[in-house]
Amino acid sequence: MKKTLTKFIPFIIMASFLVTGCNQDTSSTTTATKPAMSTKAKKPEGMVYKGKVVGKSNKAKSISIVVGKGDKAKTVMVKFDDKTKGVEHAAKGHASIIYYEMRDGQPWATVVKPKLAKLPKGVTAIETAELKSMIDAKADFTLIDARPGKRYAAAHLPGAKNIGTKEYKKKAPSILPKDKNKLLIMYCGGPT
Amino acid sequence: MSTKVAGSAIKDGYKNVRVYLQGQPAWIKAGNLVYASKGNIAKGNIVLIDLRSKKKSAAGRIPRSVTIPYDTLDDRLDDIPIKAPVVLYSDSAEEANEAVEDLRDEGYKKVALVSGNYAGWVKAGGKTVKGPVVTDINWKRKLGKGEVGKADFLKVASGADTSAVILDVRTKDEASAGGFKNAIAVPLDQVGSRLAEIPKDKKIYVHCTTGARADMAAQELKKNGYKAFYLVANIECEGNDCDIED
Repeated sequence: MKKTLTKFIPFIIMASFLVTGCNQDTSSTTTATKPAMSTKAKKPEGMVYKGKVVGKSNKAKSISIVVGKGDKAKTVMVKFDDKTKGVEHAAKGHASIIYYEMRDGQPWATVVKPKLAKLPKGVTAIETAELKSMIDAKADFTLIDARPGKRYAAAHLPGAKNIGTKEYKKKAPSILPKDKNKLLIMYCGGPT
Repeated sequence: MSTKVAGSAIKDGYKNVRVYLQGQPAWIKAGNLVYASKGNIAKGNIVLIDLRSKKKSAAGRIPRSVTIPYDTLDDRLDDIPIKAPVVLYSDSAEEANEAVEDLRDEGYKKVALVSGNYAGWVKAGGKTVKGPVVTDINWKRKLGKGEVGKADFLKVASGADTSAVILDVRTKDEASAGGFKNAIAVPLDQVGSRLAEIPKDKKIYVHCTTGARADMAAQELKKNGYKAFYLVANIECEGNDCDIED
């Protein structure tokens, strides 16, 4: 099984870059990736789950993760044990990638990784310290909270305005500066 | 999500776009402040705390505020539900910021401020009320999607309501000290393979010791066509005598 998994790793890595980060609470943005086509996989549903972890129990040693989009979204339960690597990356509400193998008809996690976020072309990342110093210095930029309105309403960063994922067309004209050279900084609920 | 909105901005012609990938959780973890929006302060299911003196609070405060002067906050911690989203304001930014830190240290995970404190609220045109201050906190957690409330759960546990059955998904070890009368015991990791033991014609109320596993089990059951709900509560049993703390 390990060997099979190794073969898939390039595909898994490629696939992981196709997925953007920053989870949302409304719908999962992820899919259960199909294994590579070059070999005939034993399990047609694939050997990696990607999606939002909806539960983890250390007592029962299992992780529940939502995979698939929209109507096809479903929750799967994956067991883990002391040999599973990176179990700490599976936390409720966070996006994870879980590599697994089948044992006695049940999926067992072999490796758990945080789901990587992919930045659109031309966009750079910013870290907490830099953002904090810019906010404190009242630097000239527009801070956008990209989470759903309810989450924004509950709590947001100082001075942040809300433009949810599907609201760009509706809200951007009134919130974003006319000058397209001005700095915009976006954030949401975190990638992992 | 931030990367999608950033992509939209780039497409729209913005040339200078950055994304704070770690997002709000990292911001809070670093000890930084967050703010509630006006609508949430006015109507949200929050505990709104006026940290100013009772005298000032009586003269004018944000509607629905509970008055807890900052120097008495420590004494009132037991009255503030730990799971409640708390929103604070004062007339001193320093005091409000300290109160956020205090509450976070005490384990409150959702602590936000009124932007600009009381003066900021008034300046933003927010409504105010005056008169005798309110000191009692009346906050009830709203049930999450798929949750069963404690009262409904107890009706089934006591046998008064027979439209549902209780499913205990704790481990065999945990369940050995006791459990609800008439509960069906199937540890979480066996739920999928022991569905035959769980009746399909009734609602299923699932419990564990906190709610985490019950949530997962309820999802598993729903996937299999059950009408399942989970209980979020700390549960300890001795024989059929169970202590439920929600």
